[in-house]
Amino acid sequence: MSIKALFNKYKMLSLLIATLIIWIFFHLLTEGHYLQPRNIANLFRQMAITGVLASGMMFVIINGEIDLSVGSLLGLLGGVGAILNVWLQLSLAPTIAIVIVLGILIGAFNGYWIAYRRIPSFIVTLSGYLAFRGIVLGLTKGQTIAPIDDSFSYLGNGYIPSIGGYIIATILIIAYIFSIYAERSNRIKYKLPVAPFRNDALKAIGTTIIVFGLIAIFNLQSGMPFPVLILLILLVGLTFIANKTILGRRIYSIGGNKEATKMSGINVDRFKLYVFMIMGAMAAIAGLLTTARLGSGDPSAGNMGELDAIASCFIGGASMRGGVGTISGALMGALIMASLDNGMSMMGIDTFWQMIVKGSVLLIAVWIDVLSSNKKEA
Amino acid sequence: MPLLEMNDIVKKFGDFYALNKISLQVDVGECLGLCGENGSGKSTLMKVLSAVWPYGTWEGNIIFNGEELKATAIHETEAKGIVIIHQELMLVPGLSVAENIFMGREPKTKFGLIDYDKMFSESQILLERLGITSINVTSPIMNYGGGHQQLIEIAKALSKNAKLIIFDEPSSSLTETETKTLLHIIQDLKDKGIACVYISHKLNEVKAICDSVSIIRDGEYVGSRKIEEITTDDIVTMMVGREMNNLFPREDHEIGEVILEARHVTCYDATNPKMQKVKDINFKVRKGEILGISGLVGAGRTETLSAIFGFYQGNHNQEVYLDGKKLTIKQPQDSIKHSIAMVPEDRKKKGIVAIESVGRNITMTTLAKHANKFGVINLATEINTIDKRMQELGIKATSSDVPIGTLSGGNQQKAVIAKMLEVNPKILILDEPTRGVDVGAKYEIYKLIFKIVKQGTSVIIASSELSEVLGISDRVLVFAEGELKARFINDGTLNQEKIMAAAIS
Repeated sequence: MSIKALFNKYKMLSLLIATLIIWIFFHLLTEGHYLQPRNIANLFRQMAITGVLASGMMFVIINGEIDLSVGSLLGLLGGVGAILNVWLQLSLAPTIAIVIVLGILIGAFNGYWIAYRRIPSFIVTLSGYLAFRGIVLGLTKGQTIAPIDDSFSYLGNGYIPSIGGYIIATILIIAYIFSIYAERSNRIKYKLPVAPFRNDALKAIGTTIIVFGLIAIFNLQSGMPFPVLILLILLVGLTFIANKTILGRRIYSIGGNKEATKMSGINVDRFKLYVFMIMGAMAAIAGLLTTARLGSGDPSAGNMGELDAIASCFIGGASMRGGVGTISGALMGALIMASLDNGMSMMGIDTFWQMIVKGSVLLIAVWIDVLSSNKKEA
Repeated sequence: MPLLEMNDIVKKFGDFYALNKISLQVDVGECLGLCGENGSGKSTLMKVLSAVWPYGTWEGNIIFNGEELKATAIHETEAKGIVIIHQELMLVPGLSVAENIFMGREPKTKFGLIDYDKMFSESQILLERLGITSINVTSPIMNYGGGHQQLIEIAKALSKNAKLIIFDEPSSSLTETETKTLLHIIQDLKDKGIACVYISHKLNEVKAICDSVSIIRDGEYVGSRKIEEITTDDIVTMMVGREMNNLFPREDHEIGEVILEARHVTCYDATNPKMQKVKDINFKVRKGEILGISGLVGAGRTETLSAIFGFYQGNHNQEVYLDGKKLTIKQPQDSIKHSIAMVPEDRKKKGIVAIESVGRNITMTTLAKHANKFGVINLATEINTIDKRMQELGIKATSSDVPIGTLSGGNQQKAVIAKMLEVNPKILILDEPTRGVDVGAKYEIYKLIFKIVKQGTSVIIASSELSEVLGISDRVLVFAEGELKARFINDGTLNQEKIMAAAIS
């Protein structure tokens, strides 16, 4: 098999290798500070917010659309969370509930204009990009809203105690191995081609080592950062939606060929609406995490967040034409973006250089993708 | 010496001969009519001439203006004076008439900017040469209808110093008066010594404007005649005169009561809402019947069927009755809910999701059958269904999870039909189901159609191939220019000439 074909087939593996190369590179340049347990926990905590946005964005992009408003929406919803918690003295649970419901409603608003009023998503969400930021600036009068209460702050800054981390990891790994096994036996039963047993076994063992290794590293310090748990839950939940549900199938087939999907009697508009509702929920979660992490509602939070999320998706294997992509790819993309951010900050590199490097990495990643998939256009 | 000689042109696609030793001659100032059924190779021949298929991808030779033509790109043939005016006009709607005429060859000032004054005045002169004064060369193309746009294309051809202009179905989007103007202008061109090739199904136009006519059929040269030596009936006979062979596995089946009735189907062009594509069509379908719909390109078949299915994009009106009950159909999901299914004409654009697996394409419409109330799919029942359908329809693929885009046209089409059979349709609409499908798969699709009607489903099949319509339908409707021109019972006395005569009238 050619390198191209290998690259294409084992996209996740190549992303992992790319991440490792970046890590080792920074580890050497920072004289061994980069891969310290404290920094790794920090890195994953940083990645979480982009990761949550990228997860929702992945569905949007697979669907053949784009959402430019999520950075502003993150700011708005994070701000609303702070207002509820600080100004209105609401406790954590109702704050979360209200913010998430609001996120879904605003997502539905975007989706309504896109699906039912036929306005291109680029335009609708560009409007949102401006308007949502305007709303949060108006609501907060441009001021930081502080302090949020401790339980809220735990969302962003808390740790899962070490035993908890191991329990979660064990549950995840058992579920993962079981799903591989179930898939395998199902395919054998229906005489579909299966990957060689060795590949699946390697995949399971590799994942186990990575997950337990990460938990062990987290536990060297204070435990697994709480946002990482949320990310894991989203990874499992959204991957399940993508692969096992009608909604997931529709997201892919609408992105693959909207006309044919419509012609097959599927209510394309409604599923487009759902996708933007999910995106809204993700922006809400990302907003809450941001406010929790900062300890306050910052009206400029999430600025340019949409671009990081979009870049993560394309680094993670999405296609501009839609129909292709995975949640795990989006998260790997987010991890790469966060690794670059974190490493360059640690080295004290100027912000302008950070932006140049991130831009270049996006371009190169998609270029490699285009080369390896033998397509004439991305 | 003729202006153009094409000698023994052979063009193959794989093992398929699209053109097999075709020869043509056009003299200076002559208008040659080129006639043949849909898919007979007319367009391919013109693509060879204009170097869309470059020299070397076909055999034979072309002599133009006394020298052999070995062009490898369209701009080379245009430089020699051969210009094609395509069926779908290649104009940019937002640019002015003059900008369209001089696109790519804009006159420049000495500073390298576009010399608009010169461009406008030269455009004006070109249009005046065609006797047109009603067009403002500075206003955008979109302000003008199809007829004027055709004239602007001709002006563009003239500005390239064309010696030979090829018209590919020029009148298919024109009104009657617009067609008259066009024919008048072609006469003018002839008087000025410019030769034309006129490709058209409208034989009365061919008869009116052409000096001679050449006929091709299935990529083979049938013959050429002087126009005064031939009647339109003769042309029809030459176009279709092929032996009916045993391509069609006809089986007896029971035909019941009327099940579907379409009334007052009227469609308007999506981009030109004044133009009627379908004019008040009414027809009925019986249970277990195969209803063939014949007609030439642009006759309004696809539009009518799409309107019934709920997928017509432009303005339209229709009343659809199923078992005597009026249905409200706005979108495909409405008709599918009422067990009306459709396999569209354009398979790549509307039939398949190419990057998704064969299996997922098959179960797409009926996925809810395999899911619980939370929408979680039961893979086991889904794969069972896929396997059953793939076996039943003989869909050949290494497995059901390869992307459907990698299969052959025939297998793709069978998968699209399988998807629609999953709906358990009462009415199955097939629009050009065998286009781009090889002969073997065609046969299997015909067998499948008979199997379906035996189970009591009614099939409506629209096809440009007369032999196909004759070979499998119980009744035949003939559409022409958006109207239902004739209804035939296919009782053995119906032949291709009768259908063609109705389609051309």
